[in-house]
Formats: sequence, C-alpha cells, structure tokens
Amino acid sequence: MLKYILRRILQMIPVFIGVTILLFILKAPGILPGDPIRMITGEKEISPVLYQTLIEENGLDKPLVQQYFIYLGKLTQGDLGKSYQKDRPVTELFANTYPNTIRLALAAIVVEILIGVGAGIISAIKQYSFWDVLVTLSTSILVSVPVFWLGMVLQVIFGIEMKKWTVGAFYLPISGMSGDQFPAWVHLILPAVTLASVSTAYAARIMRSQLLEVMGQDYIRTATAKGLRHRSVVFKHALKNALIPVVTFIGLDLGAMMSGAILTETIFNWPGVGLEIYLAIGQRDWPIVIGGVIIVVFAVMIINLLVDISYAFLDPRIRYGGAAE
Amino acid sequence: METLLSVKDLKTYFTTRDGIVKAVDGVSFDLHRNETLGVVGESGSGKSVTAMSIMRLIQGPQGKIEAGSITFRDQDVLAMDEEEVRHLRGDRIAMIFQDPMTSLNPVFRVGDQIAESLIIHKGMNKKESFARAIELLELVGIPKPESRARDYPHQFSGGMRQRAMIAMALACDPDILIADEPTTALDVTIQAQILELMMELQRRTGSAIIMITHDLGVVADMADRVLVMYAGRPVEFGTADEVFYKPQHPYTWGLLDSLPRHDIDEKGDLCPIQGQPPSLINVPTGCAFNPRCPYAKDRCRTEVPQIRDIEGKHGAACHFAGDLDFFRGCAGVTS
Repeated sequence: MLKYILRRILQMIPVFIGVTILLFILKAPGILPGDPIRMITGEKEISPVLYQTLIEENGLDKPLVQQYFIYLGKLTQGDLGKSYQKDRPVTELFANTYPNTIRLALAAIVVEILIGVGAGIISAIKQYSFWDVLVTLSTSILVSVPVFWLGMVLQVIFGIEMKKWTVGAFYLPISGMSGDQFPAWVHLILPAVTLASVSTAYAARIMRSQLLEVMGQDYIRTATAKGLRHRSVVFKHALKNALIPVVTFIGLDLGAMMSGAILTETIFNWPGVGLEIYLAIGQRDWPIVIGGVIIVVFAVMIINLLVDISYAFLDPRIRYGGAAE
Repeated sequence: METLLSVKDLKTYFTTRDGIVKAVDGVSFDLHRNETLGVVGESGSGKSVTAMSIMRLIQGPQGKIEAGSITFRDQDVLAMDEEEVRHLRGDRIAMIFQDPMTSLNPVFRVGDQIAESLIIHKGMNKKESFARAIELLELVGIPKPESRARDYPHQFSGGMRQRAMIAMALACDPDILIADEPTTALDVTIQAQILELMMELQRRTGSAIIMITHDLGVVADMADRVLVMYAGRPVEFGTADEVFYKPQHPYTWGLLDSLPRHDIDEKGDLCPIQGQPPSLINVPTGCAFNPRCPYAKDRCRTEVPQIRDIEGKHGAACHFAGDLDFFRGCAGVTS
C-alpha cells in the first residue's frame, strides 16, 4: 500500500512538468492575443522606457525556454512568482482564495451526500412509489438545468423576491451587504446548492440504480435466507456494495470542485480560485493562471489518490501494490 | 417417522407482462427426519421456486404463493408474519444456493458471514460466533480455518466457497437443509467432494435434506426418495430405487433413457426427449407432457392426470402409470 502511494506521488512529477509546459506555450507570442504589460497599464500609452522596465521587472525579456526553467527552479522552492497586476506573490493570493473554494466544495459535497445519496436510497427501497417517481423526475430535470441559470434564478428568488424574509442573507455573499447578522455558513447555502445541483442529481441516480442492481444479487438472497431483517439486508449487505461506484463519483466530483467552480463562483461573486483564475485569464496575468492551475492540478491529484485509497477500505477485492495473494 | 415438512398442493405463480407463469402448480410432498429427498427436473420445472416458496423467499408483487399449504412441524409457514419467517430462515430451514461464486457477499469476511447467522439466531456475541464460524469451516474441510475465516470470498476457490456456504447453512443446526443445485457450478471432482461432505454432515447432524438437481447421478447417490417435476407439476414420486428401477411416468423414463450408458451395447447415440419444455404461461391442456410423450393418447390431451397415492411408496401422474411398456433407445422416436 505504502509502495503504491509512493509510486502515485512520483507519477505526479511528469504530470506537473507536462502541465507547466502546456501553460508556458500559452505565453508564447502569437498563441493568445493580448499583452500583459499593456493590461497592467490599462491600455494607456506609456513610454518605451517604462514599457521596457516593466518587461524586465517581470522577467518577460528572456527567451521562453529560459523563463520556463527559471520558473521550475522557483517552483521547487514553493515560489509561484508574482502577479503582474496585483504585484503580490501568487502563493499569497491563493492562500487567501483557496480556503473559500474548499469551503464551497465541501459544502457542495455535503449537499450531494445528504440529498443525493439519501434520495437515491429512498428511491431504490421504495421503488415505483410516489417518492421514487418524484426523485426520478426531479433528477431528470436537474441534470439538464444549466448551473449559471439555476444560480441566477436562486438569487432572484431568495435574494430579491424574498428579500423581506431573508434580509439579504443570500444575496451577494461574503462581499455581501447585510449578511453580518447571519453565521457565515448561511452564505454558503445558495452557492453550494447551485454547485452541487447537477452532481446531486447524478449521485441520486447512481445510488438508486446501484442499490437496485445489488438488491437483485445472489448474495442478497443468501442474506435474506439467513434470516436477517430486511433493514439489515438493505443497509448492511446491499449498501456497502452499492456505495462503491457512488464513492467513486463523489470523489471525482470533489476533485473537480477543488479546481474551483468558475461558473458558480462568478455568479455568486465567490472569491475562490475559479474566479481568481478566470479574471487572471482576461488580464493575461500569467503567474496567477499558471500558479493557480498548478495548485489545482496538485489538489485534484491528491484527492484522486485519496479516493483510490478509500476503495481498498470499501472493496476488499481491491488491493494495491501487489499485496493480494 | 417424524414428518418435518409437509407441502400440500403448492401453487406459486408469477405475474408477467405476457401472462401468468405457473412456476409451481400443485406440488405435494412430505419430508421426514434424517431423510434426503431428491427433486429432479429440467430447468424451469419449478424445483427452485418450490424451494424458495418453502423459505418464503418469493419476491412480491410479481411472485405469489397462490394456494396450498406448507407445514413445518405443525406450524403453518404460509400464515407466519415476517418476523416468524425470519426465525425459520437460516435457523430451522437453511438453504445452499447454486452458484457459490455469487452467493457470498464480496465485501464481508467469510467468517463474519457465517457468524452472522449465529448472532441473529443464537444470540451469540461477535467473538463467540466467530470462534464457532472457525469450527464450522474446519468441519466442512477448509484447511487453516483460523486464517481462512478472515479471508474475503474472492480469496476462496469455487469449491471452498461452496464449503463455506454449507458451513453457513449448517451454522444453526437446521432441521432441514435445502440444497438448490449445490454442485452445478463446480468441477466434477469438487462435485463429488461436496456431495460426500453433505452426506457425512447429514449422518452427524441428522438433518433432512432437500436436494434439488437436474443431475440424476447426484440423486441416485444421495436421495432416499425422489420427486420428479415437469412444468411445475409433480409427475412421479417414490423411493429412489422404485423411481430409478421401475419408472412409471414416460417423462422419468425419458430422462433415464437419455443418460449416456456404457453398459448397453449400442452405437452410443444419445436419445434425448424430443421437443422443448412447455411455456409455463400456456401449459398444454391435459397432461403437460403430452406433446412430447411417445405414448400419449387422446385422454392425455384433455384430462390432467393426478398422482393417486402420494403417501404410498410410489406414484406417477400418468393415466397409464403401470400399464405402459417402455421401449429403450430412440426406436419409438420419430424425428
């Protein structure tokens, strides 16, 4: 197991190199239009001398290959460079924004597990009942609702139409206007629900179909024939098997959310990495883009590794590192 | 002889889109202590559904026991509520299933799966039950049972899994062990071992066995009495010797005659029963076997034959039982 984890960590190195090369290619002239130096100055005319100083200050005068190796060298020391625009270290910027992304992702995962998995289980054990039809129908609708649309509709309903009752708690969170009388997690509700919406619907559907499939397995009949209560058959024998694909899905989804939810963060003005990177792309602020993507890639790989390790606990048939007999 | 189980005129039907499937249509038999009853028939003859009906494992709403009675030691099994049935299952009547590869839960340790029965029925705690599970694994011939009990099913071979299933079934010393094709999914050598094991354990524990199989060889080896089923109905019933040496029903005769034999000097051609088993939705009128029966007469097409005397030692559901002069080989078959 330890060997497996070590191997997986070593595998991250080539991934990092590949990702950084791809990102540096974006910087090459003629790939993406737009000059980062002109963006700093707000497209105002500046003297060639100042222009040259800014270029040199930001290390853009050297050939791209040399820039790349300088960057790699700094990266090994944990230095992701400085933002052109904000003139602050990229690590410091993301140290501020990343916790917001994690908070939002975890809140969304909680929604996904509680509502998605819960609805899936109810739907499966009460197959063809009113609840099952409700879950099946609402998840079909939910998977086809675009996230940005749902986010805006929720804002209109809870932030504007129902402002009297919600007192703006749901409107423009964090940077929000009058949220102080509410605990911080209240501001998480709408973005988390929006971010989780599609995945929750999928989680419910996967849970339902998996549980139904497992309930038809021979070993479930064995468990019933043993004299177990129906409850134990479902929640002990069936659920542990049915959960394996659901954990995969939710795990991968958590990885995706850790990379920042650009749509949700933009709609709710949520200061996470998604919004940060999105704004930086527009300004050709390469240190933020490259540094942000590196952080995100790292986070996704770590989460995927954790998900893979968690399989071994759920499914004994999976053993890593050739330890199986 | 003490009668443990009495099944009378059992009818289990399934409602499907195409119509009502009469999977079991009027099965009756008695089972005594220490006895092995062989239930023989082709796929779809209602053997397994009979077993599932006894365990009340028929899944509603599609499947339903429509009529008949199942009496276990003077208790009406069909009248029991879910809680009473639960105490019957695994404790008094245990079942071994056909495919050991899929009948064990892949995510729980084998020992724990065996111990589970003991926890629910015998009130043992985790430690006691696991220790007993190890003993049971030893009893069924698993080497190194202490470490094997901690293994997961995928670490067991097919034969070992079936042994584990038997250990699980025997955990609570059941009065009746229902074995639904326990050796079908196994190699021939392993089959013999498993059957040997079951017979030995029966000698030790004195439980009655219902052996469901399509393998006449297995029945000949193990069974004291035999019930032959066709299209959900019993067609012949009697002691194993009677049924094998003096079959009275053309279907039983056909089954025996279709076995490859090395003691008769023939070309060695197999003589299968012609035709296919009937659809259980549209069972032929009269005797269900009549379209395939080389001896069928007009009466067979209109009137359902009954086994006249199930208490006796031999009976067949054929209008002409006892009067037929069976021919050997494929001679009478027009193909």
